[in-house]
Amino acid sequence: MQAGLSTKNAPSIWVVAPHFLLAPVSFLMASLYLLFHYGALLGYHISAPVLTVLHLMILGWVTMIIFGALYQLIPVVMEVKLFSETLAYITLTGLVSGLFFLITAFMGYEFQLTNNFIIGGSLIIGAVLVFTINTLVTALKSDKKNMSKLYIVSSAIYLLLTVMMGLFIVLNLKYAWLTKAHTELLETHVVIGLVGWFLMLVIGVAATLMPMFLIVHKIREDYLKWGFYLINAGVIIIFTITFINQVPEFIRVVAYLMILSGLVLFLLFNYDVFSHRMRKKLDIGMKLSAIALVLLLLSVISFVLVYFGNNVLGLGVGRIEIIAGILLVYGFFTGLILGQTYKTLPFIIWLFHYQKLVGKQKTPLPADLYSDRLATIHMYSFVISLLLFMAGLLFTVKLLLILAAVAMVFTSIVYGINVYRMIFHKKQIIK
Amino acid sequence: MIQQNFTDEELKVVEVLKQVPDPEVGVNIVDLGLVYTVIKDDEKKTLVVDVTLSTPGCPVGDTIIQHIQTILEVTYPEYAVTVNLVWEPQWTPDMISEQGKMELNQ
Repeated sequence: MQAGLSTKNAPSIWVVAPHFLLAPVSFLMASLYLLFHYGALLGYHISAPVLTVLHLMILGWVTMIIFGALYQLIPVVMEVKLFSETLAYITLTGLVSGLFFLITAFMGYEFQLTNNFIIGGSLIIGAVLVFTINTLVTALKSDKKNMSKLYIVSSAIYLLLTVMMGLFIVLNLKYAWLTKAHTELLETHVVIGLVGWFLMLVIGVAATLMPMFLIVHKIREDYLKWGFYLINAGVIIIFTITFINQVPEFIRVVAYLMILSGLVLFLLFNYDVFSHRMRKKLDIGMKLSAIALVLLLLSVISFVLVYFGNNVLGLGVGRIEIIAGILLVYGFFTGLILGQTYKTLPFIIWLFHYQKLVGKQKTPLPADLYSDRLATIHMYSFVISLLLFMAGLLFTVKLLLILAAVAMVFTSIVYGINVYRMIFHKKQIIK
Repeated sequence: MIQQNFTDEELKVVEVLKQVPDPEVGVNIVDLGLVYTVIKDDEKKTLVVDVTLSTPGCPVGDTIIQHIQTILEVTYPEYAVTVNLVWEPQWTPDMISEQGKMELNQ
């Protein structure tokens, strides 16, 4: 028998599973915190509750689950074993402990530097540095040359840059090394984090997984290539002009247009994959992923409206800004994670329990490890929650915001039950 | 399937291989077009199967091959079973049988 394929490159279940155990807890905590502070959504958006929820979501939920999923997906995309599982455990420990201090700091945030910011920020930078080294060394070991690899490597570097920038911002509050408006520094932090880290990563992983799951062979590589150049150029320009004084405004506009064009190319890539798919019927994981892509489109439209409202029409569009943010973080990021969980986690659990039994006994399939019904329920509650958030914010109806937050808490609980059900799966033999 | 002519005995092997599913899609590997050739030599007591995967990065690739090896060794205990993983010709979705296409969308 010939070997040397990805199953042999797959990481230990003990590296992946803890991330999936912890991330739903952060999702639930962020949703509960939002339920008790929903009023903050109607006020100025740089506030303690909004920043608390945002960092719990981005670090505790999105980044946590991405780390776990990436340890599983890197061998698929790069066709090599992860460089070090020990480094993966160190990253996880740093992320969890750093998150604890950082969230405590944000809960009492009053635009001042506290020790918790420094401890939390430093731990997270350490965790991310270790993750970046692990990813880069793994990429160097791989002789695969594809767009997915380029996107993933770039995203790991941007992640390191954005967490360093985050700590720099809070330190700058006290030491004022850079005499720039606080909001401009925050904007760069957000762009590198959301676009450079998360979107680049998503594009990189989707470039391999979407055609694989939907059974499509001819993909639009040119969309991916141009998207890579445009998004990178846009993010690098935004980062660079943060450190230069008196930069003409049109340069910033050009940078955002580049990012926007890259995003449109990514959406076109997905549209092309979905249109040419051999597997017409979508499973729950791909349904949620498709919903997430629609939410990304809506979020992009909202951000464009924010820009034109602010700069062209001179309108106060803070509310739309919150809607765009919710569509991106609670909508696109969360939707994609909810969906892709069902395309990744069942496999590592299934391999752990059944790899040695295949052919000898009849075993369940990976899709049998989770409840399709529960996943469908949280798909609906997730969509309902987002619709309620948008309606509540547009028409300033507090009751709708409460119901939206309740629906998101419900979504996180149902999702958590389904994930825990997979992780604590007991081996079954079908007779 | 790349091989065009099968003996009756080889067709029986193909039927056995239909018990091996791709765990991701739940469709058997024969209807997915992943089995390229089956050569059963009754004199030498050898059974050689050439298979491919839909993508080199397939996360369950080894498991599929292990499944083929085990099921053939159990069904034909007196034969020396060899499962070759081949990449030429490259698999394309056009190799999926009509039955496979139907099952994919059920």
